[in-house]
Amino acid sequence: MTQDRSIEDDFTRRMLIAAGAGGVVWAGLVARLFQLQVVEREKYEAAAEDNHIKLALAPPQRGSILDRFGKPLASHRRAGRVSIIPEQTRDAADTLARIAALIDVPDERLARLTREISTSRRRNAAFVPIIVAHELTYEDFARMNVHAAEIPGVQVEMASTRSYPRGRDFAHVLGYVARASQDDLHRLSNGMPADEAKRLENLFRHPDMRTGRQGMERFAEEWLRGKPGFRKLVTNAAGRVIEEIPDDKFAPVPGKDVYVTIDSELQRAAIERFGDESGAAVVLDVETGDVLAMVSTPAFDPNDFVNGISGADYALLRDNPRSPLYPRAHGGVYPPGSTFKMVVATAALESGAVKPTDRVHCNGYYRFGNRTWHCWKKGGHGSVDMHNGIKGSCDVYFYETARRTGVEAIAATARKFGFGEAWTLGMTGARGGLVPDSAWKQRVMGEQWYEGETLNFGIGQGQLGVTPLQLALMTARIASEGHSYKPRLVGLGPKSDEDGVLDAPLDAEIMKRMKAGMYGVTSEAGGTAYRSGDLGLGGPRLAGKTGTAQVRRITMAERDKGVRKGLNIERELRDHALFVAYAPSDDPKYAIAVVVEHGEGGSSTAAPLARDILHFALKNDSRRKPAYSQTASVAPATAGEPT
Amino acid sequence: MSRDGYTGFSRGEARTRTATSLSFETMGPLRKLAKLPWGFILLIVAMALTGAAMLYSSAHTNPGESDLWFLQLSRFGLTFVMMLVMALFPLSLWRTLALPAYAFTVLLLVLVEVVGVTGGGAQRWLQVGPVAVQPSEFAKLAVTLALAWYYDRVITPRSGRFVIHLGALVIILIPAVLIFKQPDFGTTLALIASGGVVIFLAGMSMRVILGGVVAGIAAIPAIYFSLAAYQRERVDTFLSQLSGDATNALGESYQIEQAKIAIGSGGWNGKGYLAGIQSQQDYVPEQHTDFILTVIAEEFGFLGTTALLLGFAVILGWAFYSASQSRSWFGRLAGAGATATVAFYIVFNVGMVIGLLPVVGMPLPLISYGGTALLTTMACFGLILSAHMHRDDKLSSTGLI
Repeated sequence: MTQDRSIEDDFTRRMLIAAGAGGVVWAGLVARLFQLQVVEREKYEAAAEDNHIKLALAPPQRGSILDRFGKPLASHRRAGRVSIIPEQTRDAADTLARIAALIDVPDERLARLTREISTSRRRNAAFVPIIVAHELTYEDFARMNVHAAEIPGVQVEMASTRSYPRGRDFAHVLGYVARASQDDLHRLSNGMPADEAKRLENLFRHPDMRTGRQGMERFAEEWLRGKPGFRKLVTNAAGRVIEEIPDDKFAPVPGKDVYVTIDSELQRAAIERFGDESGAAVVLDVETGDVLAMVSTPAFDPNDFVNGISGADYALLRDNPRSPLYPRAHGGVYPPGSTFKMVVATAALESGAVKPTDRVHCNGYYRFGNRTWHCWKKGGHGSVDMHNGIKGSCDVYFYETARRTGVEAIAATARKFGFGEAWTLGMTGARGGLVPDSAWKQRVMGEQWYEGETLNFGIGQGQLGVTPLQLALMTARIASEGHSYKPRLVGLGPKSDEDGVLDAPLDAEIMKRMKAGMYGVTSEAGGTAYRSGDLGLGGPRLAGKTGTAQVRRITMAERDKGVRKGLNIERELRDHALFVAYAPSDDPKYAIAVVVEHGEGGSSTAAPLARDILHFALKNDSRRKPAYSQTASVAPATAGEPT
Repeated sequence: MSRDGYTGFSRGEARTRTATSLSFETMGPLRKLAKLPWGFILLIVAMALTGAAMLYSSAHTNPGESDLWFLQLSRFGLTFVMMLVMALFPLSLWRTLALPAYAFTVLLLVLVEVVGVTGGGAQRWLQVGPVAVQPSEFAKLAVTLALAWYYDRVITPRSGRFVIHLGALVIILIPAVLIFKQPDFGTTLALIASGGVVIFLAGMSMRVILGGVVAGIAAIPAIYFSLAAYQRERVDTFLSQLSGDATNALGESYQIEQAKIAIGSGGWNGKGYLAGIQSQQDYVPEQHTDFILTVIAEEFGFLGTTALLLGFAVILGWAFYSASQSRSWFGRLAGAGATATVAFYIVFNVGMVIGLLPVVGMPLPLISYGGTALLTTMACFGLILSAHMHRDDKLSSTGLI
């Protein structure tokens, strides 16, 4: 029994020891929990915060582009979009099919999305939404919203999209935005330190970011872009966003707005007036050089480019024979034809080679060397001085005047007017055209200048190439009697490159003669656009000059057969019709240049068009005080001068 | 009968009940059920319900896992019935089953070695029809039973001698070696630890035990290098975080780091049910199985974890006390061994989650999601209850008295 007792005794003791050891272990666990949860609590709370709060890049809202009176030309709009979060779908193909049953998704896009989804799964990025459709119509958005809950992994949301409410009207002025390509990134980060370039690249990777690809969108990119901020997002371990914590400290800084000098109503009226014709029109404020309208038609719709244009759609634009991608107003180069005659006359008077009263006899042709140059008027104008030469647009008068003045003097005067200069004005695609002279010909063609070419130069043909913008500037400078300003398109925004380029004064007396000639064209018997002088506003009249730009030479054989006007030949071979004008004739406020491609006659197509646009500008008072100016419209430089 | 007067565990109560116990064998099962210690059982049910609630919290937002809590609760219902049935088993039945169960388990472990299914870098599972069985889990109970059976036979008044414990060591080591080879380091340790407790209680010389512990510590390098690569990595991670070295946020250390963040950010009273950010957003891997304590800690804070550990302490303390009340060595050692088995689950799990032990892959009894561990745990409770109900059985065939 003693043995038994000692065993029992020992067992009890050992049970106590074991229980005690257990108690110690338990106390150890509790102590450790106390350490973690009470003593070190703050450290782990901070770590928990770091864990689940992520700062996501928040793209800035791109600045708007507004017209002279603050009407939006490029802004942003909330648009519905549908995306798929691959990790939340069970069967991607089925999910896509169910979306396609609700809204229209092209088959080729479905195929591409299926590939994208499997790629994202492979890259373990299946929590990143993949966009199925942008720009949902209201009906589609509503329908998707109702059914999204039934389709797992589908997300329907509103997103900010660049929008061009005026559509085609400003395509060539504003250009468009697009997702930044590698080339864009390379261009934008050019010259940046590596870390800054990297940040820029990250910013542009955001699905809502766009960069200006063309036009003012590209020129004013940095002004419009703004500064990115951050969104405080609560995420789970997989990186999925659970909720957002608002915090103004990190809000992105929106881009600045740009005001252009254009009156969008005038722009619209001008485009409507063009109808189906192709061509360009530029309206300038005679007193300030502000561009009030810059029309190039046909055009493309920049809204089509914002979310990427399909290859097929782009090909349609590119291959369209009417060239809707071509920025005619500032990038279209045309022979100015007779609209150039004021420049020749100015050069003649400036050089002193010709006096205004010098007369030339026109009997319909002009012999020089062993060749014959024709005047547009069969039978001739008879004896003409400078005034009548301009009014009747007598080619013979200008053959003779140009020959006397010489190519160098004409070219120099043309450059003083702003020809040969690419007026970018904050757009892309501007071209300078060409003002030829003997040095140019020697350099480019390796030949000497022939005097016969000077004759062609005198009537605005030959190698000479100008843009409608340059013609409008010429007209405005004549109308302002030589005031030396530059055209201006950016009312409020980044400075344009050519600030300070044109500073060439023109003689006021000579300009008055040019004005008188242009008045004669529209308002005196024998003027080539006699019927177009009346603006239909009671008092004010317009003064202008017609022009015809030859698309091809009319052969002698055709001339003999009486083929002079090409109404019976193919459209593509017909001449371009030009008209430059200012109004009102007695107190010029607006200058305009119109080119109607293959419009055949300056007086018959271009002049009525110009007249109607000027009529609208005057009636609408397009040049009134702009929204961006604090003071009254810029005071005319001539205001203080005695008249 | 000179059992009275022993220190600590008073047996007076047990003796006064001897008269009723004598007629116990003749009781109907319903009356027997009514005699069960329902306070203890209710505490177990409360723990299981807590576990289901925490499972819901940890997995309800995950697609495909939102019903886990219900599945686990259903499993609990089944194993609960099993536990009650087991509680009614007379100890003699347990003892009769002990050796066959042990032999069967060893056979299964050998089978796992030969035809087992590999998963998670270890060969632990046997595919039986649609069910994957993990024999190493059964081994915990089988070894406990076998040890109780063994000591019940060999303990005599001269049993202080070392030799009789050698048989017990063999009983432990055969399955331990097989499980270690799978490899499943955690279960091996738990098996040796709870087996060790039984040997200790059976009276192995303190000096020998001390020597064993010293030898075990000396063998640590050898064990370390015999571990599988992933296990060694876990130990390395554990050591580096213990020494306070900066841990990278990947792999094993990521799990421990996130677990510590979840636990620590719970603070005094937690963020509230379903409001734990770490838990709700899946920062802690395996948070519905082995790391479910992080959910409790984050959502109910220090008060919650302490209450949980207190609940376990009450369950284990009562079970241990109840085992000590048994008259038979089988009842004592089986009850204590089962208690130790559950206790080591808890210690290993909690120790691992709070960064005191290497990650060994051990679930938290009654709380973690998982079927096999629940089955083992509930069988242990069944055995404990049976030992309690039959604490006055003398089990005549033994040579104790």
